[in-house]
Amino acid sequence: MSLIVAAFGFGLVTMSIIAIAAVGFTMQFGITNMINLAYGQVMIASAYAAYAVNNAGVSIWLSMVVGAVFGALFSFLLNRTIYAPFQRKGTNLIGMVIISLAVSLVIANVLLPIVGYYSVSYHLDTGPTLHAGSIALTGVQIAIMAVAVVAMVLIYALLHFTRLGKAMRATAANPTLARNCGIPTARVIDFAWLITGALCGVAGVVAGMNSDAFSVANGSEFLIPIIAASVLGGAGHPYGAMIGAVIIGEMTEVSAALITPEYKQVAAFAALVLVMVLRPQGLLAKRGTLAAAG
Amino acid sequence: MTYYLTTLLVYAGVDVLACLAISLQFGISGIVNFSFIVFQAAGAYTAAVLSMPPDTANGGFQTYVLGLNLPFPYPWIGATIVGALLAPPIGLVVLRRLRSDYQAIAMLVLSVIASLVITNTPQFLDGAAGISLVPQPLSNIFNPYSDGYLWVYSAATVVLAAIIFVIAQRIINSPYGRSLRAMRENELAASALGKNSVALKMSMFVVGGAIAGLSGAILVGFITTWAPSTWLYPETLILFAAVIVGGRGNNYGAVLGALLVPVGFEEATRYIPPFGPPGLIPAFEWVCIGGLILGFLWFRPRGVIPERRRVFRLAAASQPEEERGGG
Repeated sequence: MSLIVAAFGFGLVTMSIIAIAAVGFTMQFGITNMINLAYGQVMIASAYAAYAVNNAGVSIWLSMVVGAVFGALFSFLLNRTIYAPFQRKGTNLIGMVIISLAVSLVIANVLLPIVGYYSVSYHLDTGPTLHAGSIALTGVQIAIMAVAVVAMVLIYALLHFTRLGKAMRATAANPTLARNCGIPTARVIDFAWLITGALCGVAGVVAGMNSDAFSVANGSEFLIPIIAASVLGGAGHPYGAMIGAVIIGEMTEVSAALITPEYKQVAAFAALVLVMVLRPQGLLAKRGTLAAAG
Repeated sequence: MTYYLTTLLVYAGVDVLACLAISLQFGISGIVNFSFIVFQAAGAYTAAVLSMPPDTANGGFQTYVLGLNLPFPYPWIGATIVGALLAPPIGLVVLRRLRSDYQAIAMLVLSVIASLVITNTPQFLDGAAGISLVPQPLSNIFNPYSDGYLWVYSAATVVLAAIIFVIAQRIINSPYGRSLRAMRENELAASALGKNSVALKMSMFVVGGAIAGLSGAILVGFITTWAPSTWLYPETLILFAAVIVGGRGNNYGAVLGALLVPVGFEEATRYIPPFGPPGLIPAFEWVCIGGLILGFLWFRPRGVIPERRRVFRLAAASQPEEERGGG
């Protein structure tokens, strides 16, 4: 029993990481209609960018900012140079998925010779371990959860209390109508890539902080729970992604304690399949995700 | 030299088979089966465990299920059937109500998970180490290391690929193929005309799965080993790159793509003198595959051999029905 409670504690950390990543992923999809399968690779590239400065003696918190800025700029440029031109050309949804997968392959294999094949880990002080019953979390893990909470609150505030956020929601709901109402959708989409890219970068850094070591190979591994959480909650729906992250995060960790750690991603996938069969539009439905391919 | 040429032929045949299956699914019907390699792997594993002796043989250094020791044609037939049988359960989850790009990512996730499960379950198909010492077909009658055997094997592969090519041609030129293309171009309109798009997609999913299973059986019978590292999801992307480069929606394009991308790439990099740290060339290869997909989709989205424009004229009313490639 205490093992499961301890796993629940780790689940809190895992869900925080997935939540940061999945909210970015799902917002990219919601606002720009782009399933960016290169997301995991951008995460790992940002984690390495943060590692570069962290290794040079900068504190991990400042490195996280570097990772966020790197992720933001990388995603922004990715959209400007590749995705947006293809979308303007009228490439269909399937074509865009293939393109993003090709981009993911290119990023991973350009990164590989640069950073090497060995796993690296951040230089950080894990801080004192805090106990609450059977739950034992390090200071860093508590900090990761705090980062996630702050990020979620900021995203909520952005979407509800700022003009940019309202413009984003309008663009997500109906880009043509938004443009006709005078919303500069191109600029809104640029900002969307910057903001989601920053989330992606932060997610990469915190994922690296939580694991003992990371390598380029982790990029595609990151993607699976992120997709699972986003689809589970209803793709394109930021709060759905948060709920999805909670479910996937707890399911992976608790099933690891109950069954075996090797299958923790499989458990997450089982949840995903179940949702796809029973409620393919996700828990919080976004209208349109079930429409026939345009 | 014989070994080199026959290996080349077998790989070319297997890649042609795989690309024909992808062409039927992706090129004709518009299904993006990112878990294609799982079907090939299922066929290979099936053929392996059907043809191998029980796992206590060879000192029991590997563990696997079955081990039925069946004679030649059965493992290949079994592989084809398993490839086909794998399609309906996956198709029922994925093809039924999901949007096309959702289908693609669902199958991508599936491919990754299948690999994880097999890798972490050593008692099922020997986990990450993979199965080795798979007997070659008819190796109890003929010497599988003789030149003659190698040539016959590669010739048989090419003949099978040719047969599948003819079948694929028949499918796409039939009225059924027309329905498939109609669905690819505009699923809503096709449904409105009474075409059951789920059934249409499912049929191509099953046919493609069967071809994939067969291709896996052919490959494993030749290379005699199969492990999770040979069927990671990027392998599927190579095949998609091949079909995109060759030309979507027609089988000539699929064959050309198979010969250019998977076969041509392997051969081209074989002659590059090794430079840089180990692993640089494979990484570079992957970058090229990714670049190839992006380049072709940008500059020549319909591939080297574009799909033929089809014009159908009714006898009475001359109302041309045109189709555009790509889609």
